[in-house]
Amino acid sequence: MIPDDLDRILASEEPLLPSSGFAALVMEQVRETAAPLPPIPFPWRRFLLALAAVSVLAAISGWGIANAMLGRTLAPLQDSHLSRALGGSIASLLGTFLLVRLTLGFTGARR
Amino acid sequence: MEDDNDLIDVRRVLAGDLGGFEGIVHRWQAPLINLAYRFVRDRGRAEEMAQEAFLQVFKQLPRFRAESAFSSWLFSVSLNVYRSALRRHGLPTVPLDVIAGAASRDRPAPLVLEDSEREELVRRSVVSLPPKYRDALTVFYFREMDLAETARILEIPEGTAKAWLHRGRKLLRRKLGSLASDSPAALEAPA
Repeated sequence: MIPDDLDRILASEEPLLPSSGFAALVMEQVRETAAPLPPIPFPWRRFLLALAAVSVLAAISGWGIANAMLGRTLAPLQDSHLSRALGGSIASLLGTFLLVRLTLGFTGARR
Repeated sequence: MEDDNDLIDVRRVLAGDLGGFEGIVHRWQAPLINLAYRFVRDRGRAEEMAQEAFLQVFKQLPRFRAESAFSSWLFSVSLNVYRSALRRHGLPTVPLDVIAGAASRDRPAPLVLEDSEREELVRRSVVSLPPKYRDALTVFYFREMDLAETARILEIPEGTAKAWLHRGRKLLRRKLGSLASDSPAALEAPA
């Protein structure tokens, strides 16, 4: 094949005409792309559930604190039942804290 | 003049008027479809690729700096879209082997192929070249053999574009071999 022949074949190609509606379709997609995303609705349901849970916890804690303050201040601490309960609570809290730290450390190490 | 219209429309789009992009689409829809067609040899696929190219052009419009002609930038963005599409969906089927098989069984290919078939075979063979030669040859012939414009669209120096074109033509001639030749003498034609 001579170079001129190659040039002629590659340079001359019957042009295609766009299908009718091509431009309209492109503009439709462009408008969709350009349209601002709808605002994310505030998660009221989750918010209210969380608020209710926090309120219940606050009420329980408040009730416990009020009870403790109304009673003798130091004597309950010497009570063996209460001491055991307090020890258990502190141990649970520490355990939870350690678990959370371990989980975070584990996921952090994997990233 | 065309470039003036393009720049006016670009400014309109950047100012928030989408109507400006409509002008760009109307002016450039045929060229973008035709460029895509040269890569895939399929009208439907070419139109899909051109749509994708227009969307990319729209998204990247704020990055257009008007340092070169809008058309060069437009083709450059589109070419990147077409390259990605070819990587994702593969190349079109090139019936070279089928034709070669038919030719070798009965008689020499030049006697079997009509002119139009031969021309289509040559065009499809360009698509099967390694990507850089395929892109260089496709853009060069699409942009009326303008080397500087080809280099701008490919975002390479002119010297590199020239070398790729030379190598691409050489590979193409080797690939086509006797299938697309008119005479045995033509096979020996220098580059």
